[in-house]
Amino acid sequence: MSEAAITESKVLDALRSVMDPDLRRDIVSLNFIRNMKIEGGTVSFDVNLTTPACPVKDRLREQSRQAVLDRVPGVKDVRVNMTAEVRRPPAPETGRIRGVKNIIAVGSGKGGVGKSTVAANIAASLARSGAKVGLLDADIYGPSIPIMMRSKDEPEIKDQVIQPVNAHGVKLMSMGYLSGEMPLIWRGPMAHKALQQSLLGVNWGELDYLVVDLPPGTGDVHLTLVQTVPVTGAVIVSTPQDVGLQISMKTLRMFQQTKVPLLGIIENMSYYVCPHCGGRDEIFGHGGAALAAESLGVPFLGEIPLDPAIRKHSDAGMPVVLAEPESASARALAELTGKLAQQVSIQAFRSVPLTIVEE
Amino acid sequence: MLTAPEERATPAEIRKKSGESITIRWVDGHTSTFAARYLRGRCPCAQCVSETSGERLVSEEHIRPDIALEAARTVGNYALHFSFSDGHTTGIYSFDYLRRICPCEECA
Ligand SMILES: Nc1ncnc2c1ncn2[C@@H]1O[C@H](COP(=O)(O)OP(=O)(O)OP(=O)(O)O)[C@@H](O)[C@H]1O
Ligand code: SF4
Ligand SMILES: [Mg+2]
Ligand SMILES: [Zn+2]
Ligand SMILES: [Zn+2]
Repeated sequence: MSEAAITESKVLDALRSVMDPDLRRDIVSLNFIRNMKIEGGTVSFDVNLTTPACPVKDRLREQSRQAVLDRVPGVKDVRVNMTAEVRRPPAPETGRIRGVKNIIAVGSGKGGVGKSTVAANIAASLARSGAKVGLLDADIYGPSIPIMMRSKDEPEIKDQVIQPVNAHGVKLMSMGYLSGEMPLIWRGPMAHKALQQSLLGVNWGELDYLVVDLPPGTGDVHLTLVQTVPVTGAVIVSTPQDVGLQISMKTLRMFQQTKVPLLGIIENMSYYVCPHCGGRDEIFGHGGAALAAESLGVPFLGEIPLDPAIRKHSDAGMPVVLAEPESASARALAELTGKLAQQVSIQAFRSVPLTIVEE
Repeated sequence: MLTAPEERATPAEIRKKSGESITIRWVDGHTSTFAARYLRGRCPCAQCVSETSGERLVSEEHIRPDIALEAARTVGNYALHFSFSDGHTTGIYSFDYLRRICPCEECA
């Protein structure tokens, strides 16, 4: 029996049956399929995802392979190559940091909930997945990222532009570098200028994600951030002890008022894993953040255990996702980072372009 | 849902008619057109509204009728910033605020 030739359009039609679960569209209309080659009965192509941290990468690969095998007669072999390209949301050009596609703000209602630890691990985890990542420590009251990322280097200034420090594959900048001899309490206008300089006066180069570790609570730094650059979205870190998440609510509302989309809520120090028996102990009755997220209609990104190893590796200057990637805590952090990257992709596709048309 | 109340105050399209006015079509389909003088007289900055009492210090009747809207730009995702021909440039008008002060008959 003679078989009709395999054509590109037949393969594309078959691939239209594969849906991206986040964007709820098929992978062909999303323009994910690239570099298709048909040689005899062998079909090969790239599936260009929206982030290398995509949590459903393997599923999409398998579905694409099956779709072509099942639906296109004559195909003997399908080679799917998974690639990724982080898309930038169609935000206004003004105030943009050239080359930076997405800005993720990490906030919390109160101090000490592990915000910086989570920010450092998210940045390291995104970089580990292959993305280009920057990390800005915008906590003027207690910059701690340089210690967590073991960078003794200070950034250099070339032609009035700050060159960020490279730490574990992440480009790092801390407001602490600018404070020098400054007293710990910054006056408003000074903090404002320092943050602007840390955003716009730094040679970030090409970045898929710039993670910004904010000071706890709400204040001038938050306002300066959202007024200076288009923020893709914000993540809130809380702990089970946050009384009904009440303090985080203020932070949530601040982002909401400035139209910064909420990418999700993370519960840190959620439960305790016994280092001896591996047993799980719900010290504070965890799960409050998940419930709050649900009632607010905000994605819940995950729980991170209270694990002495997280602290140990932070103190030693290497985030746990790099130091012990196979540990349960590192896996929890990597999984939550994948969910976060998903939410960023959704925002990038959802947001309306904000430009002013001159008539 | 947390985002519900302000959802309406999300612009779908922003148009500026040189000097005269700015028109915002919102995601719910509503359209607001703001004349230069109307906007200038409702500037929310600290020079135009007393920070302590909330009292409006500069309102529409203080503004010359031929005032022009010279430039408009977006501020982050959430607001517009205007420059007026009287040299006033300190107001940041959030989309929530703009939606609240829509001058159309339906909203007024
Ligand atoms: N899941 C965890 N398990 C164990 N220790 C943790 C965990 N998360 C954070 N820590 C430790 O808790 C302390 C506070 O964390 P971190 O500095 O990240 O908090 P923060 O919210 O950024 O605080 P600040 O408000 O001071 O900026 C650190 O010593 C950190 O190593
Ligand atoms: S992260 Fe989500 S949007 Fe991106 S490719 Fe994966 S499933 Fe699609
Ligand atoms: Mg911190
Ligand atoms: Zn004013
Ligand atoms: Zn109206």
